Amino acid sequence: MLVIRRRCGESLMIGDDVEIEVLECGGTHVKLGIRAPKQITVLRKEIHLTGRQNRLATGELSSADMSRLLKSLR
Amino acid sequence: MVKILSKRLGPVEIDETVTLQFPAGLPGFERCTRIALVERPSLAPLVFLQSLDLPEVCFLATPVTAIDPGYQLSMTLEDLECLGLESLELAEDLLCLAILGPSESGNFTANLLAPVVIHRKARRGVQAVRIDSRYSHQHPLGGEGAPCS
Repeated sequence: MLVIRRRCGESLMIGDDVEIEVLECGGTHVKLGIRAPKQITVLRKEIHLTGRQNRLATGELSSADMSRLLKSLR
Repeated sequence: MVKILSKRLGPVEIDETVTLQFPAGLPGFERCTRIALVERPSLAPLVFLQSLDLPEVCFLATPVTAIDPGYQLSMTLEDLECLGLESLELAEDLLCLAILGPSESGNFTANLLAPVVIHRKARRGVQAVRIDSRYSHQHPLGGEGAPCS
């Protein structure tokens, strides 16, 4: 992983179009500002993971899968 | 009543007046704003979240407490607003479900990172993605991985 040290008000660029600025730093939180073209989706990682998990959850399921699932819940 | 050919339930009739509104949809399914909670007593504690906008979308879910009896709900202000609530402390009549699905390896898991919270009285719902990392989006289910008896 690339590690870059930045202070409040400083930015970094990802490619030519995406800018990430450090807006505020607190004890346990940082506030980031992101400038990116409209076609680039910016999401909290938890939302991205949930979107992927939701797509997996709507996939095909055999009746054997269903009984396995029920068994693990009861 | 609206008839839907559900992927998981087969043909079902859904009373539109008891449909739940999900103003923000669900992550990955932003167009699913009308969802019916369908229960089948023979399949309890499993419940179904059937989309009325996309009939092929039907989630399997179960109350989070069936998976983790000590589950502590935490919601962002935006998600509370989706339910028409100001704070979690004042909320009554909330149903908190975990969506069930396979992980990449095929084992069933529950998404405890992002429970589906339903305000029954207001008939509104939201998938409340937590901002902490206290719970996993792929929490293993009890029976999974246990040796066959």
